[in-house]
Amino acid sequence: MIVNDLVRQKPLTAAQWTKRIAWRHAVGILAVTFALFPLVWMISASFDTIGSLSAQKLIPNHPGLENFRTLLGNPDQPYLTWLKNSVIISSANAILQMFIGATAAYALSRFRFKGRKLTLMTILVVQMFPQLLAATSIFLMLADLGKSIPFLALGQTSALIIVFAGGALGINAWMLKGFYDTIPAEIDESAKVDGASHAQIYFRIILPLARPVLAVITLLSFIGTMNEFLITSVILGGNQKSLTLAVGMQQYIDGQYNAHWGPFAAGALIASVPVMILFLYLQKHVVAGLTAGANKG
Amino acid sequence: MKFGNKTPALIAKIMMLGALNAFTVWCVPILISNKTWLFAIYFTISTLILDYIFLSKKRIATKYIVPGTILLLMFQVYPAVFTGYVAFTNYSNGHFLDKETAIGVMVSNSFAPVGDSTNYMQVAKDNLNGKTTLIIKNNDGSFGAGTRDAFTPLPVSDVTVNSDGRITKVAGFTTLSDDEVFAILDQFNDFKVPIGDSKFFSVTDINAVELVEQNLSYDATKDQVTDISTGTIYSPNNNGSMISAAGEEIEPGWTTTVGWRNFSKVINDDRYRGPMLQVLAWTFIYAGLVVLSTFFLGFLLALVLNHPRMRSKKIYRTLLIVPYAMPSVLSTLVWAGMFNQDSGIINRVLGSPIPWLSDPWLAKFAVLLVQLWAGTPYMFLICTGAIQSLPSEVIEAAQVDGSSPRQLFSKIKLPLVLMTLAPLLIASYAYNFSNFGAIYLLTGGGPTIISSGGIAGHTDILISYTYKMAFAAGKGNDYGLASAVSFFNFLLVASMSIYSFKKSRTIENMT
Repeated sequence: MIVNDLVRQKPLTAAQWTKRIAWRHAVGILAVTFALFPLVWMISASFDTIGSLSAQKLIPNHPGLENFRTLLGNPDQPYLTWLKNSVIISSANAILQMFIGATAAYALSRFRFKGRKLTLMTILVVQMFPQLLAATSIFLMLADLGKSIPFLALGQTSALIIVFAGGALGINAWMLKGFYDTIPAEIDESAKVDGASHAQIYFRIILPLARPVLAVITLLSFIGTMNEFLITSVILGGNQKSLTLAVGMQQYIDGQYNAHWGPFAAGALIASVPVMILFLYLQKHVVAGLTAGANKG
Repeated sequence: MKFGNKTPALIAKIMMLGALNAFTVWCVPILISNKTWLFAIYFTISTLILDYIFLSKKRIATKYIVPGTILLLMFQVYPAVFTGYVAFTNYSNGHFLDKETAIGVMVSNSFAPVGDSTNYMQVAKDNLNGKTTLIIKNNDGSFGAGTRDAFTPLPVSDVTVNSDGRITKVAGFTTLSDDEVFAILDQFNDFKVPIGDSKFFSVTDINAVELVEQNLSYDATKDQVTDISTGTIYSPNNNGSMISAAGEEIEPGWTTTVGWRNFSKVINDDRYRGPMLQVLAWTFIYAGLVVLSTFFLGFLLALVLNHPRMRSKKIYRTLLIVPYAMPSVLSTLVWAGMFNQDSGIINRVLGSPIPWLSDPWLAKFAVLLVQLWAGTPYMFLICTGAIQSLPSEVIEAAQVDGSSPRQLFSKIKLPLVLMTLAPLLIASYAYNFSNFGAIYLLTGGGPTIISSGGIAGHTDILISYTYKMAFAAGKGNDYGLASAVSFFNFLLVASMSIYSFKKSRTIENMT
């Protein structure tokens, strides 16, 4: 091992570098080209004032902001309203999902009560029946409920937020419980001695300690909701004013690739950039969250 | 730390409970009046439970679990169970109502105008009982007062008409101005004055009625609909429709249970069996190929870009996960543009109009290529993590024993990484199994399988097939059939989860 390390310290000669490292860069550059091409092509399309699929060049002949103006100046397909809806739905959903999951996980981690194991099992079993597959019955259910309760009617963003909140417990409770289990119980005990109620322990001690994990979960739910297509289109599909970006942009480009390509690319760019920056900025935490499941077995 | 003042929390709690109870008190009567019994009961019981738990000093753990559980039951458990129920019904476009409402619609749709003239009418209010009444001028110049229940003649002397021919005063009634009528306009949608012989005056305008004749009548005791003009009798069939002996059907039908018919349709009907098998096979193959190809490429990149002497590894890493960071709905739509047959960049580079998205095999290839692009970064990330945590003793021991780099890869690194990542790979398989957007946004499931009556396509997976059955325009909106197929999908996904739980020993580790 020591020998190995010493060998590694020696700088490589040009010949060695060519033989051992250069091809790795070649593979890397090839992979990066594949990974980035659609993004680059989208950026180029959004600034190409010709705005059509067939005439677009990688480096636009006439760069300009024409596509952005077309996109934003279309009252029939209100991009900014969609963007606003997406942000509202995704934020509300991210916070609700995080909070509901975090709350249940606290009880499952800290209290020993009758039916605790049953609850854990139930949550696990319910997870096997994702809402996604029940889109048809959610649609029928809201068609019925909406007759009585306006904010649960089809086409209402509030209905979508509440439906998603229903899926929250199944998604996050298990994972967060695992995290809470790693926070020493002595911390709770000493707060209890200081006269803290269970709610104060939860809100003022446990939640702040779990902040990094909660932030990642919130971010992932936010991106997930931004990207959700099926349930969103089933619930909101009929109402142009309450669409999200994902569904709205699909309707905008659907079958009109040549005519709408430039403005579509502009819209995709506006929507992608903040999400991508956030994601890359938090990539370390996100990766840790993704691989958390792998270390169980 | 100080934990003194608990009053604000108490106030917040009482306000939230108050809002909840107010909501329930408001919506339960409405739910009952709409006959939505199940939710009326569910809201009532949920509210009582929440009140009890949050006002109790004990039950601390339940305070944290029950609110989420109530939502979970309503929006995740119930829809799953309801899918099972809908699979046994004929829920579809022409069968959306309950029986009572459907028959009401049939009968009220059967009113047809007699002749093509209208009669002058003035809306008034009965001074005795305040009922809205129509003062109608008959064809012979006499007048009558019509309500929903009866039409009574009025003496000509009771009615005062001005020089324009408008009724201005009626003895015993107060006439309403046009503005006042506009304010209560929606009362007149189904306002029909019966005048005998199944004929009615029906409101057409704020100053006009027309004579209409009812063509269908419903007999509740015999459960039959009769066509009054022809005498044809319609009886309910077993598919929620009124049907005559000659096989003629009246629209709309109603929702009813149909036993195993939806399931037997999928298994026995040629329009569904073939496409269903094809879709099912492709779903399994598609998810498998996506996991294999992305894992293979991701693992390879992780190995190649993980050399200790290589510079700028971090830059590669950041750039390679860009596809994963980009919202997948948008990137898939961008790919669809790039694959466009006439003017997409891919065909422009290749110089020939290759039908990427309209040829069955090329469309499958396109779907897989886009998923290779979208899914590799994830595999690259988790493989990099797994490779970096490989035990170095094992690898060095193998090197000392003289294994070649190739053996090191296939006998040591690959098996170890696979073992670590197995649960994630299973999860990824299940995810791709129902990755609706990946298919629907690129090809729409197409190109169409012709024998399927236009519903199934060559790249459809189960979930996009059900979506199209239920929601695609002009395909019948067959929710019952779609639910039957969803039911299969549930079973498959659930068995994958069970397998994955066993594999990752989640249940044994439950503490």
